[in-house]
Amino acid sequence: MSFQLQLQCHKQPDVIERILRVVRHRGFTLNTMSMTPSNCGQKIELSMTVSSLRPAHLLIAQVQKLHDVVTLRCIDSQVDSSSSAIGC
Amino acid sequence: MNGAEAIVQTLIYHGVDTVFGYPGGTIMPLYDALFDSPIEHLLCRHEQGAGFSAIGYARSSHRTGVCIATSGPGATNLITALADAMMDSVPIVAITGQVPTGAIGTDAFQEIDILGLSMACTKHSFLVTEPETLCQTLHHAFTLARSGRPGPVLVDIPKDIQQAIASCHPPLDLVANNFHPEKVESDNLHKALELITSSSRPVAYIGGGVGMANATEELRQFLDITGIPSVCTLKGLGTVNADNPFYLGMLGMHGTRAANTAVQECDLLIVAGARFDDRVTGKLEAFAPDAKVIHIDIDPAEINKRRPADITFHQPMQWVLAGLSTPLNNNQWVDYCQQLKTEHQWQYNKPGDDIYAPLLLNQLSQRLPDNAIVSCDVGQHQMWVAQHMTFHHTRNHLTSGGLGTMGFGLPAAIGAALARPNDPVVLVSGDGSFMMNIQELNTIKRRQLPIKIVLLDNQKLGMVRQWQELFYDGRYSETDLSDNPDFITLAHAFGIGGKVITHRDEVACALDEMLDIEGPWLLHVRIDAMENVWPLVPPGASNHEMLEKSS
Repeated sequence: MSFQLQLQCHKQPDVIERILRVVRHRGFTLNTMSMTPSNCGQKIELSMTVSSLRPAHLLIAQVQKLHDVVTLRCIDSQVDSSSSAIGC
Repeated sequence: MNGAEAIVQTLIYHGVDTVFGYPGGTIMPLYDALFDSPIEHLLCRHEQGAGFSAIGYARSSHRTGVCIATSGPGATNLITALADAMMDSVPIVAITGQVPTGAIGTDAFQEIDILGLSMACTKHSFLVTEPETLCQTLHHAFTLARSGRPGPVLVDIPKDIQQAIASCHPPLDLVANNFHPEKVESDNLHKALELITSSSRPVAYIGGGVGMANATEELRQFLDITGIPSVCTLKGLGTVNADNPFYLGMLGMHGTRAANTAVQECDLLIVAGARFDDRVTGKLEAFAPDAKVIHIDIDPAEINKRRPADITFHQPMQWVLAGLSTPLNNNQWVDYCQQLKTEHQWQYNKPGDDIYAPLLLNQLSQRLPDNAIVSCDVGQHQMWVAQHMTFHHTRNHLTSGGLGTMGFGLPAAIGAALARPNDPVVLVSGDGSFMMNIQELNTIKRRQLPIKIVLLDNQKLGMVRQWQELFYDGRYSETDLSDNPDFITLAHAFGIGGKVITHRDEVACALDEMLDIEGPWLLHVRIDAMENVWPLVPPGASNHEMLEKSS
């Protein structure tokens, strides 16, 4: 299963490193990633696709706990529909 | 005021009266500021010892522990303690020195990227790069360490930031903890009550999260009102009243047969502050196979992680437990559980003259007052402590649960002795674990802490040896410790008296003597090298497949 995650994060030097560490450690593979600064310049918008045999909610719940992650949205690419975080 | 002085003022603001640490080059400005501050600093003999002492302090007092180290090796030596605090959800603020900001990234002397290293073993970590953000970052660290599911937070502070002009302000982000349940939460409570009242075989599975949520009284009332049989995890021990007639003991790999049988046969598990750890569940697919689950945990990431739940709560534990407290009538099930408890009581009548560790620990437990703190290390003795000693609060049982860190016990006992100087502190250790932070005996000496040490010495790495015997065809690879030092001579070198016992008839007098002595004491107990911890759920087996001694 592969999923697309869309995140908004505080613009901290270590935030990407923290997110990628959690993705790897929790058993997910990063397939694609892109990053853009937000309009206000204080945040970044991050979009990534990850895949795993594990259900998405196991990753989402861990990423949401990261201090600098503000919002997280998960899109199930296989059914091409967006949903709330846990419902994905 | 410089940055270091601002750090001290911030610690005082947060009520910190004791810190644990070890000085070094990049943290010298902070040590200079501590020199004439009202904060008490305990010099440990290794940064790992300082980290575990902060954990012992925090766990025994429900306060935030603070540890301090220099950059490079000082910081890396903290890592194991931070990982331990992370796994066991202990609020710690670790302050590390860092090379000056201009030298970061140049491979300077004693430079290490501790921010990078800390990511997997802290709730969060900060590198302070501007003096004006120093105090707010520390405030933030204290808030994070205590909020939600507690955990360790590291603040890395370059030496030039400690030396720069700084100011100290109250925190900007005061957190209000008011909770007002909304309709959806009340509806959830009603659904849970329906599940509870419709079940005929409920069991409450209690973890360390109940004590951490300050919900011990509410949990005890819930059990008293409902009469539901209960079991505890290793970290939950002490949550349930020891004299609760429906309490079945610890569950899991070395749990009681009564606890594991009841859980396997229940139709409803009410899980409070626990996380379906693998040492608890055994074979997950076969754990409590007929049970519906009500899971109460403040950390949403624990819900549905290992076992799907039918109803979940993240709300304050006190509110949930009070709302679920309703009288039940499950007499047949309760009678059955009590019958299990009676049938599978511990037996202490092992034949022979040599010292039987479970019996000794039970004798020790009976001699200790309710406010005694027992710290232990990791291995066979840790499981015997859990099985055969009685605890009246989770704060009184210090054990490395999630990470299982050998060397935890001695420095944790030191932290507890500073946190609760009026309560007796006993360390139960094994000869393997004891040697891992043996240098902290000098911290006991330095402060003349009256810690009583019971060293269960089988001249083996006992738990590994047990597994080698049972699961590796008796191939005892590197578990022989018959070259241990003379522990009594070693203790004497640190100004600590002690005694060796080898026979069962010496135990009672030796325990009395130890507890009567005012200062620290080492009771060196020689036990059978081939003694095993029973019962045991073998790896990969389900919890109803427990091995007993005769298996």
